[in-house]
Amino acid sequence: MVTNTKEVKGKDICVQRISPEEKRELAYKDDVCIGCGICAKICPTEAIELGEIGAIERTGVDESKISIDEAKCVLCGMCSSACPVDALDLKLDEKSIKDMAEYPQLIKSAEISDDLCIYCKACETACPRDAITIARILPERSKLVTGEIEIDKDTCISCGICEEMCPADAIEMEHHEPTSSDPTVSSDITVNKDKCVYCLICRKSCPVDAIKAVCRSCSYGDYDLNPEDSETTGSSFIDEEACVNCGWCQEICPVDAATVEKAFEGELTIDQDTCEACGACVEICPCNVLSFPEAEFGEQSDKVQADETYCIYCGACENVCPVEAIDVKRTAVKHTPTKSKSWEKQLSELKT
Amino acid sequence: MPKHIVSGLKYLTAVELIREGLSQKEVAKILEMDRSTVSHYLNGRNLSWNSIEVAEIITKFCPKDFLTLTYALLNDSEKTRVIVKTCSKKSYKASVEESCIGCGLCVDTCLLNAIVLDDLKARIDSDWCNGCNMCRDVCPTDSIKILEVNNGY
Repeated sequence: MVTNTKEVKGKDICVQRISPEEKRELAYKDDVCIGCGICAKICPTEAIELGEIGAIERTGVDESKISIDEAKCVLCGMCSSACPVDALDLKLDEKSIKDMAEYPQLIKSAEISDDLCIYCKACETACPRDAITIARILPERSKLVTGEIEIDKDTCISCGICEEMCPADAIEMEHHEPTSSDPTVSSDITVNKDKCVYCLICRKSCPVDAIKAVCRSCSYGDYDLNPEDSETTGSSFIDEEACVNCGWCQEICPVDAATVEKAFEGELTIDQDTCEACGACVEICPCNVLSFPEAEFGEQSDKVQADETYCIYCGACENVCPVEAIDVKRTAVKHTPTKSKSWEKQLSELKT
Repeated sequence: MPKHIVSGLKYLTAVELIREGLSQKEVAKILEMDRSTVSHYLNGRNLSWNSIEVAEIITKFCPKDFLTLTYALLNDSEKTRVIVKTCSKKSYKASVEESCIGCGLCVDTCLLNAIVLDDLKARIDSDWCNGCNMCRDVCPTDSIKILEVNNGY
């Protein structure tokens, strides 16, 4: 008889069934799991149970968010297909069912177009999962300005005012104690032309008019500057394991470079009269949908606010709410087609 | 002792296959025996008649017992398939309902390798089914139906 084996590594779980025919392996990653309980809902054999995620989240207790009963699990893969964040993955002979066309997949994605991205990092800052990394290469400062600067060393009295005033730290002076053999106070003064922005502060502040400088942009315009040199370039990266397709990047992007597709459509309702403002939902929500409005110092905000724009209708908040003040409805579950009637049925039953 | 029972089962299978029109050479190849041994078997030599009797009783067990005992004796999937299918007198019609979730538990369970998964649904080759019902017993969604057909005995 073929039987399942279970291996628990920290909070991660792995259930295996090995037969001469094939090896089935269901892997669960707790750090990816958002505690939505969709796996428990879709499991046809009731092998998965959602833990007390509210307590787990708040106390940081060393416990997995879900438990899998290996005696009940038949390794069908429905949990893996329905998990909105890919915390569960079923592999058949080491190949993930997420790469198999016969298995339905949730239709969800998040992309940043490098053609449109201006690398402002707004998405990186807004992403509630820290899933976005924007690597940007700034233009060279010296290529954005044009001008000339010269210091007449015979006139210069080495007072160092220009060095102190320079906002770009472009002037450097080597000071030294004057001696009878070398009575100067400075051995050299240099202008770093990669740093100088020709702002003319040094010229204006020099008490002996030793600096001759001109900003060519101010006098003649940018004719000798190449506009391409002022562009910021770079690349964007979305960590798919961390991304929950919440849409913050899409909403916050000023140039519409981010596109997010969500697997579920639905409705989020909070009964403000019932809500006791405990904050459990705010803590569990993977999408920063929920928040407390700014309260006066010393006062507690008594209502939780929601912006559904970022909601993925996972239902984690509904699960943790101790007073049943939250209702998450799923009206559509978008997935790739499947020929299996039972899979179609189980997936559509995620609608509430 | 198990060896003797295996000889008995092979004898019964050889007789049946010859009756179906196979040559001694083909039978020897299928059962992985020497051709001379097949010949001896068919002539009733090198084989105690008691092992044939025991083997005959085994073939009349309920399909699950026949199959699992044969597999336990031979510990060889291919030969088990041939012996059980050749010596089973009954035919079965297996069907899988739409409630099948494609978990593959039946595929892993079937000792006759009669089941494959097709678009997340089990497909059972009735020609190979010996009606042991082990797949039906493990099915988590109760999706397998196996009916006996041609019950002429």
